[in-house]
Amino acid sequence: MNTDSTSTVALGLPTLRGTDGVPTLAEHELLTGKDFTSDQEVRWCPGCGDYAVLKAVQGFLPELNIRRENVVFISGIGCSSRFPYYLDTYGMHSIHGRAPSIATGLATAREDLHVFVVTGDGDALSIGGNHLIHALRRNVNMTILLFNNRIYGLTKGQYSPTSETGKVTKTSPMGSLDHPFNPVSLALGAEATFVARTIDSDRKHLTSVLTAAAAHRGTSLVEIYQNCPIFNDGAFDAIKSPDTKADAIIPLVHGEPITFGPRNPDTGLGDKALIRTTTGAIEVVPVADIATEAILIHDAHNPDPSTAFAISRLTDAGYLHQSPIGIFRQVERPTYDDEARAQVRTAQGDNPTDAKARLQALINGNDTWTV
Amino acid sequence: MTYVIAQPCVDVKDKACVDECPVDCIYEGKRMLYIHPDECVDCGACEPVCPTEAIFYEDDVPEEQTRYTAINAEFFSELGAPGGAARSDFAGQDHPDITALPEGLNA
Repeated sequence: MNTDSTSTVALGLPTLRGTDGVPTLAEHELLTGKDFTSDQEVRWCPGCGDYAVLKAVQGFLPELNIRRENVVFISGIGCSSRFPYYLDTYGMHSIHGRAPSIATGLATAREDLHVFVVTGDGDALSIGGNHLIHALRRNVNMTILLFNNRIYGLTKGQYSPTSETGKVTKTSPMGSLDHPFNPVSLALGAEATFVARTIDSDRKHLTSVLTAAAAHRGTSLVEIYQNCPIFNDGAFDAIKSPDTKADAIIPLVHGEPITFGPRNPDTGLGDKALIRTTTGAIEVVPVADIATEAILIHDAHNPDPSTAFAISRLTDAGYLHQSPIGIFRQVERPTYDDEARAQVRTAQGDNPTDAKARLQALINGNDTWTV
Repeated sequence: MTYVIAQPCVDVKDKACVDECPVDCIYEGKRMLYIHPDECVDCGACEPVCPTEAIFYEDDVPEEQTRYTAINAEFFSELGAPGGAARSDFAGQDHPDITALPEGLNA
């Protein structure tokens, strides 16, 4: 192998899929949500969206058909990060913002573990902003659940990296000056291979998105809109209320035309649709004004993230009146941990001498100079 | 585990809890409200807002009302998991034990 400092080597295409490498349950073994429920008393505020996510996760984990001892939940700091206590799996309530880094190490060292990260908008996007984007670009095998309540709840209500501009909080008495992050746009910009968004109170959608995310090999980022009933109540009312949600949620389903608003019972289409304009941008237009063929078909498997990014920009940056929900992007790319393990195997296989001799040879290497 | 609506709700049906429930799992029957045990996420938002103190965590239902845990669950045994009270209408129905209760119980 040429190890010249400027050379690159072809790493090949991924051969592993989904949760390959994680032992599955024996044929007669069957787990239920109860098996994944710990004996700890759940302590979030009454009405918190975290309860709904916890229940959905406890409900979907048995479907993965893997052992509890091969599941790990790593969290950072924040309300959402209490999550590992309530699951009867391995877990770690770790350092603020650093859960993706710890998960990177664990996923690389232990191929037999299914690694989840639980984080919030403050933990993932402010304190741990760098750790998140680098996990995403490396495509480490992990499923990231990003609970977005658009506020710092644990510290009692300060504006967060996803709070809307002008938001009045304890730390922004005259309104926040910060322009908010859109977590989906950020993840797509970092070229994450799986990016999705769902809602805490929609158990069916949440479960289906989590199932797809867990089955994805590589980093999956799932943004979960989560209501904080104490410090940011009603942040997602427009997309939750039965009266307004049809016009607020733009549902993304791979292979289907993207429409929203009240459905026409004959065509199954909403009254508004996304189209691509002549400049390449995405626009919302009334379905009645355009030909059905002009409606944008959602392609989550497109290797180019630009259309997914354009769709993600339809999310309101201010109060949320409109937001695309579903899987934005789901593509295959080699994962960091698979490649790292393969390199270690190759390096060890090429050299018949023992580890100590190899280390000494490295130290004695010819790339030295005198100062 | 789940929250349970018990006897003080019968013929009262204040419905403050319905507005409070983040997952819309409280269904209106003819004489009382029922919590769907599989859809309830145990968040506890409903319990403090009930003016008649009819809502209890499953473990804390008073001994003389423990039957209500089964009554809430059995109400849905044929209705299944509708996935949200807003799109359901069971207001004409009740669990047979509730139908059999005398009038003016909580008057």
